[in-house]
Amino acid sequence: MVLTGRLVLLALLGVVPVLLFPGAASILLWAALLAAVAALDLALAASPRRVGIVRELPEGVRLGEECRSALVLRNDTHRPLRATVREAWQPSAGAVDPEQAVRVPAGDARRMTVRLRPTRRGILRAETVTIRSAGPLGVAARQVTVPAPGALRVLPAFASKRHLPSKLRRLRELDGQSAVQIRGAGTEFDSLRDYVRGDDVRSIDWRATARRRDTVVRTWRPERDRRVVVVLDTSRTSAARVLDEPRLDTGIEAALLLSVLAEHGGDKVHFLAFDRRLRARVDSTAKGNLLSSLVTAMAPLEAELIEADWSRVPAQVRAASPHRSLVVLLTSLDSGAVEEGLLPALPALTGRHVVVVASVRDPRLEEMAADRSTAAATFRAAAAERALLDRAAVADQLRLVGAEVVDAVPADLPPLLADTYIRLKATGRL
Amino acid sequence: MTRRSAETDVQAVPVRRARRSDGSPGQRTAARQVELMGDGGSAAATARRRLRRSLPLLMGAVVLAVIVLLNLLPGAEEDDRPLSPGNPSPEGARAVAEVLAAEGVDVVRVDSYEDALGELDAGPATLFLNDTRQYLSATQVAELAGSSDRAVLAAPGARQLTALEDEFTLLGPAPLDFGDVPAQAAECSDDDATAAGSLSVTGTVYSGDVECFPTAVDGPPGGAGDDSGPTTGGLYTTSSDGAVAVLGAPSVLSNGSITEEGNAALALRALGSAPTLVWYEPTGADVVSSGEGIDPRTLLPPWVDPLLVWLLVCAGLAMAWKARRLGPLAVEPLPVVVRAAETAEGRARLYQDSRSVAHAAATLRAAALTRMARRLRVDRSAPAGEILDAAARHSGRPRLELEQRLLHHTPTTDRELVLWAQEILDLEKEIRS
Repeated sequence: MVLTGRLVLLALLGVVPVLLFPGAASILLWAALLAAVAALDLALAASPRRVGIVRELPEGVRLGEECRSALVLRNDTHRPLRATVREAWQPSAGAVDPEQAVRVPAGDARRMTVRLRPTRRGILRAETVTIRSAGPLGVAARQVTVPAPGALRVLPAFASKRHLPSKLRRLRELDGQSAVQIRGAGTEFDSLRDYVRGDDVRSIDWRATARRRDTVVRTWRPERDRRVVVVLDTSRTSAARVLDEPRLDTGIEAALLLSVLAEHGGDKVHFLAFDRRLRARVDSTAKGNLLSSLVTAMAPLEAELIEADWSRVPAQVRAASPHRSLVVLLTSLDSGAVEEGLLPALPALTGRHVVVVASVRDPRLEEMAADRSTAAATFRAAAAERALLDRAAVADQLRLVGAEVVDAVPADLPPLLADTYIRLKATGRL
Repeated sequence: MTRRSAETDVQAVPVRRARRSDGSPGQRTAARQVELMGDGGSAAATARRRLRRSLPLLMGAVVLAVIVLLNLLPGAEEDDRPLSPGNPSPEGARAVAEVLAAEGVDVVRVDSYEDALGELDAGPATLFLNDTRQYLSATQVAELAGSSDRAVLAAPGARQLTALEDEFTLLGPAPLDFGDVPAQAAECSDDDATAAGSLSVTGTVYSGDVECFPTAVDGPPGGAGDDSGPTTGGLYTTSSDGAVAVLGAPSVLSNGSITEEGNAALALRALGSAPTLVWYEPTGADVVSSGEGIDPRTLLPPWVDPLLVWLLVCAGLAMAWKARRLGPLAVEPLPVVVRAAETAEGRARLYQDSRSVAHAAATLRAAALTRMARRLRVDRSAPAGEILDAAARHSGRPRLELEQRLLHHTPTTDRELVLWAQEILDLEKEIRS
């Protein structure tokens, strides 16, 4: 049972009889009147237990976009339902109007739409729907909380999508249409075509020119059907926030850009999320759109507060791709964690594959290193310099083992990783 | 207002249409389309569950109510007023009352003026008036004294003595004497006092016809006449016929001091001369209304009290209205928040707390040299000398000066460290530009 504001107003109206006929009698009479009205209203209210609820939820929504969650409410009683309905979304789902007044005629159904503007990636949940059904007078209501679980998959924003056109253009430039491409290992002969001004004279095929009596150039295209394995580290180091974004989310952005680019480049993409066990895996060979299956798999990823077990990564990579591949490890370059975990396991990977270690660098460290205004700031600068030197030393060690290192601030990591991929592809190192 | 606008958002969609739209390919909805109804319970079940959940609270409320009721019940109250005949503590006077009762004196305890007058009129009786708060007026005291055979007034106020037939004056409190109070000798003609011989306590000093246990005080507070020097009064003063006695030291009756010196003798003799002892302790109800004071509540109109009661009820209803939530709170699983630069900040505080100036300087120097080497395209593993050579060539500064500033100067205090750190940062910028 729920009392409403109208009942309180009615009770306040009781001030008049109490003023006109002061005494216990008027108080008791008015209280009895209130109780009778409330009881009558309750008895006439439609039972909230006989309201059918059907949820209609979109499969997923990209972070930063708006979506609608609908509830179809069916009134199974013979009385009209006047209800306030609340869909209990967790706060980060950003429900704009989770509480709505709904009127459903007897035996009819209505759809109630709640606008959601999620503020976090992941699986967001609404566990219950609460129906408060008021009587015809609106002074008292019956309330029932129905367990109606719903989950909304909020996909990563893929903000690095804006880099995609320029990177794709550079990829196409490699791709046979232009003869400026230098011949090298790892490039395949594509075709012969007429020389146009601006082409590299070194690419002129003299034998064909002699046959055709017209200058002919050879074009090359980079190798296709190579494999790219993206390993996203979801261990404790990926929980750290850089510019108020977890390293994991920056890694997801970089992995998405690289995967889409590699797919357009004609390569096969395998995505693994790993800490001590496999959290997610997506293969581009599987049916369906790679991007949508990637974002769907990435949406529920959270940083686990455990140390990554790098010794098991080579086996996982081998399981995903038995051939020579480009292995991209999206992790952090914290000294200590890398020296004990990644570094011993790396030779097993670099022996078979081309390995790129990509990591987010904290721009705050450089800010700290440059601020030397006070004694405290100078000590901070020294500590930041020490951290940067350690990172540089770790990066050097990784390079010694044979890995490429991409170390960049969050905004630059996805494009820089894409550039590294294009460079490796251009030089035929895949 | 908001409810109205929200209502317009709700589309009127019959359920059949809603179901048909589920199958349409354009709408991307989850495959699960189960209709849920109710929470599997009933109103009675909900009531039972609520009752069970609120059972501890209800039991607590019952216990609280029982405690309050027990405290409100009359009779359970303990008599703890000083010089009360029922109080067994050292401040009480139960011992005297019991001894008098054992000796055949009928000790009647009254607490209203009318009862006291009635008891006094019923037969020969002694009045013991213990009015510590001075509720009674002078006329009431005089009336009581007149209707009793013998009246013993315990430390009355100066105002209360004015209407008595005999002349009594309050002189003031006996001088405070820290430590053991010296015994006061009777030194008067009153039989009771003489029999007692001496008292072990002091109190307020009065002047009257017969002043026993004389004590010197610094004169009456009002400053009577030109007599500002010390005057002498008695702790036990009686009228010439002995019908009214003013006991300036009522604590002779207390359980704690009754056995000392002649206290008991004075108490028993003064109070036990008649077959009945009326022990009167006035209360606030005995105050004679002078007609000036008025209860402000009587000025209010009659509807104020019911109105307040009704508004209280309304407030309770409003609380019940506002306190009810629309369903349980939604839970947000919060992520871990770790700032990436936190370890560096911690290390900085460690440096500062341990005053590792030299260590910080070495780190800053190494970082500066590394950056300069990268900028000047010198191999990073090259010795510092080579980097300095390149830096000197690039900047046009003498190599010696660079070496002095970069390598050979090591700050020792915080202040020096800050200055030096800024200096090498400037140097670095100069080379970078």
